[in-house]
Parts: sequence; structure tokens; C-alpha cells
Amino acid sequence: MHSLFAALGHSALGRYMQTSVWGFAVVEAIHLLAIAVLGGSVLVIDLRLLGVIFRKEPARILGRDLGKLLLGSLLVLILTGIAMVSEEALKCYFSPAFRWKMALLVTAALFYFTLHRRALIHADENAVTVWSKIVAVISMSLWLGVGVAGRAIGFL
Amino acid sequence: MPFLQHLCQLLYDSRIGTAIRESDNAFPIIESVHVLGITLLAGTIAMLDLRMLGAILREIPVRRIARAVLPLTWSGFVVMFISGFLLFWSEAAKNYTNPAFRVKLVLLILAGLNPLIFHTGVYRRAQEWELAAVAPWRARVAAIVSLTLWSGIIVAGRAIAYF
Repeated sequence: MHSLFAALGHSALGRYMQTSVWGFAVVEAIHLLAIAVLGGSVLVIDLRLLGVIFRKEPARILGRDLGKLLLGSLLVLILTGIAMVSEEALKCYFSPAFRWKMALLVTAALFYFTLHRRALIHADENAVTVWSKIVAVISMSLWLGVGVAGRAIGFL
Repeated sequence: MPFLQHLCQLLYDSRIGTAIRESDNAFPIIESVHVLGITLLAGTIAMLDLRMLGAILREIPVRRIARAVLPLTWSGFVVMFISGFLLFWSEAAKNYTNPAFRVKLVLLILAGLNPLIFHTGVYRRAQEWELAAVAPWRARVAAIVSLTLWSGIIVAGRAIAYF
């Protein structure tokens, strides 16, 4: 894993990100814009699971359309994220905040594709249950954790 | 010294402004809240805009989406305004001359005018078109303007740190 990060840092992408004046700033700005879309989708889907908003709308439609937004923005975040990591790959490799972020990201994504998906399908035909509420709270906490840990990379 | 610059200097020199600036953790914590608050504010605005453009949630009437999302947008606005003002408080004298900050303020004013025009215009007849998969052109223009302005605000906001 260490050599993978070292290779990323020495790659053409890494060298571009390290030497370009505006490269990092532009990539970071795109990363931020995608955060707005991903966060908004997570928020609305999970508030539906909690029964706070869109109680009368089929969870299936919300899950389908906002799920597309979520996955689309996640792809943008991963691509811009790789570019940002390449700028200081080894610093990220040793950063506790970065490791936390990756662990939380993998957990959040796995949770989204498994239990969260099942809760959405279930919520489509049924009233809000304690189970769907728990799933929503876990989902929001995981994604918030990814964001907080990500912000902390710059500070720790 | 121009009046506004004088005001910025007063804020900058004030006890609270100085305390935020000199604290090790205050600025990063407030800034993190400000960054994550983008989700509440811009994320929910984008949702309504994308619906009017016919990109998502075509089956759900526009006004129902607006009703569901607007309280989130407003709470996002409160979070962003308070955290943003605290950040400004600690950096006011520097922000005054910062070109990115100035651009951000202009874009914020424009982003505030856009819903005023929208809500007093085409949205008043929303019951006639809210079921359509794609909203009428005036609403689509408002949506594209909104998406552009809010993207610009986020980018300009990030750019403040680079000047």
C-alpha cells in the first residue's frame, strides 16, 4: 500500500498537481461542489427514511433518482480525491485523518449498497419503522464522518 | 478610509474577532461547520433546480419538493450565515480587500435576487405546470442561474483562502 501511494505521488498526475499553480485549487473546488450534491442527496433520502419529509412520496423514486445523484457525485469525489491525494500522497498515507476518512468511506459505501438499500425498498410499501430510522441515522453519521475526517486531513 | 473598510477594521480589532483569529481551534472548527453546511444549503437548492430541469424526481410535483426541501434550505442558510459571519469577523480587514471575497458577496446578492424574481414570477402559477416533467422555460432559466450562482459562490468562497 505504501508503494502504491509513493507511485501515485511520482506519477504524471502527482507531478502535475505538485507543480501546477491552479491545479489543486480547481480540483478542490470541484470536490467541494460534489460534496454539496452528495450531502444533499444523503440528507433528503435519509430524512425520508426517518419520516421527516416526503412521507407521501414513494421511497423508491427518491432512492432511484437521488441514488443516481449520490453515485454520480461520489464518482466525481473519488476522481478529484485521487488527484488531491497525488499532490501529497505519502503525507496522506501517514495521516490518521486520511485513514479514518478511507475507513468511513468504505463503510458508508458498503452500508449504502446493502442495509440502506433494503431499508429503502422496505420503506416504499410500509410506514416508517424504528429499523428504517436507525438505518437513516447510521447512514447520515457515516457520511458526516467522512466529511469531518476529510476536513481534518488539512489540520492534522 | 472608506466607511465599510473602517467597519471591517473595527470588527477585525474587536475582542471576538481577535479571539477567533488567535484561537488554535476556533477558526478550523467554524470553517468545518461552514463547509459541511454547504450540503444543507446548496445541496437542497440544487435538488429543486434539478427537478425543474427535469433531471430528477419527475414524478413528484415541483411544489411538493419545494415544500419538503425549503425548511432544510433555510436552516442551511442560518448555519451558513452565522458560521460565515464569525469567519468574516475574524478576518474582516483582510477580507475587505480580498477579490474572491468581493466576488462572493456580489454572487450572493445575485443569488438572493434570483428566487425573488422566480417567486413573484413564474412560480406563482406553479399549480399549472408543477406536474410537468420539465418546467417552463422561465423556471428552467431560474434553475440554471441558481445552479451557476451557487456553484460560483462555493468556488469563490474557497478561493478566499488563496488570495
